Amino acid sequence: MRTSGYSALAAGLFGSLLVSGTAFAAGGMPQLDFHSFAPQLVWLAIAFVVLYLVMSRLAVPAISDTLDKRQAKIQSDLDAAEKANEDTRALVVAYEKRLADAREESRRLQRTQAEADSGVAAARFTELGEKLNGRIAEAEKRIAGQRDTVMAGLEQMAGEIAQSAYAKLAGQPADTAALGAKVAAAAKETSR
Amino acid sequence: MHSPMEQFEIKRLLDFHFAGLDVSFTNSSLWMIIAVILATGVFVVGMRQRALVPGRLQSVAELGYEFIAGMVRENVGNQGKKYFPFILTLFIFILFCNVLGMVPYSFTPTSHIVVTFAMALFVFVGVTLIGLAKHGLHFFSLFVPKGVPWVLLLLLVPIEIISYFIRPFSLSIRLFANMLAGHTMLKVFGGFVVMMGILGGWAPLAFIVVFTGLELLIAFLQAYVFAILTCLYLNDAIHLHH
Repeated sequence: MRTSGYSALAAGLFGSLLVSGTAFAAGGMPQLDFHSFAPQLVWLAIAFVVLYLVMSRLAVPAISDTLDKRQAKIQSDLDAAEKANEDTRALVVAYEKRLADAREESRRLQRTQAEADSGVAAARFTELGEKLNGRIAEAEKRIAGQRDTVMAGLEQMAGEIAQSAYAKLAGQPADTAALGAKVAAAAKETSR
Repeated sequence: MHSPMEQFEIKRLLDFHFAGLDVSFTNSSLWMIIAVILATGVFVVGMRQRALVPGRLQSVAELGYEFIAGMVRENVGNQGKKYFPFILTLFIFILFCNVLGMVPYSFTPTSHIVVTFAMALFVFVGVTLIGLAKHGLHFFSLFVPKGVPWVLLLLLVPIEIISYFIRPFSLSIRLFANMLAGHTMLKVFGGFVVMMGILGGWAPLAFIVVFTGLELLIAFLQAYVFAILTCLYLNDAIHLHH
């Protein structure tokens, strides 16, 4: 079966070579039939010219127009994207600058506030101190006044006691002025 | 069994004669027109929306455009811009003819030497005229390699001239022969499938499946080669350096 296949193949090859060979030899090659040249050439010219006109008048302008438009669109989109990108970058820079400014400002405010606060506190402190000093001085003055009155009362009392003691001891009324001076001197001595 | 060459026969579908010239509408004409209509469909109907975000058909049209635009830009430079619609048309026309030729029962207009030669000759004459118009007689310095001793020039200049004039032939025969060989091959192996029957026919059938993929690649590749060689010739004519 195999061999019959091969022999058929060989026979076919041979046969076809023979047929085409005879076709060539007999001038039966249709390509060499010059009677068919004129109609082929005429219709080639017609078909080619028609296709050329279609291509050059319709297809090429349409395609190049479309490609240009697409290119322009892509370019403009790219430009827009680039611009948006730059805008974003500028915005980010501005935002960061504002953020830094705000931080700086807040720090400055904090500082001045702290300074002002400490100034006010100091002022208040001194004011309070002065007030307190005033009151202390007043109180001291009052105390001194009271002490003076007390001391004066004491002197008088001591004078009276000394007078009555003298009168009891000596049996005669004492010299009021001389006794008063001696009591005052004694009081001065003891208060020292 | 049919001859594998039968698929290349020109069949007159409608007989026309104009001023003594046979301008019959043939199967070749039919498939050229179908190629033009389909290309128009892709490039005009596909681009009708002119959407910024392209749909499927528009993507195909833009892909083709940018493929050839890049080719012209890289191989010819800025001065090639003027010729871009022509090279795009050339590429798309050959590509559609080649690929449509892969449809069963269709016809491949580019499998005929007269068609490919006409295109190659047009490119050759056009490029030569562009070179002459741009550089005048200085254009012929293209045939004189720089920095070569004059003794060698005696040998090199004729070679350069011959290789220049061979261009339309190599350009047209490359495309024609690729189409011819590929389609003949498919037909021959198709014949084997029938001949070897249901038992042995699977092997050539598998080959045909694989080879059809290769043929589709070649259909694209030959259109690409034709277009890029046109670009290179144009670059030679415009910039005059090898």
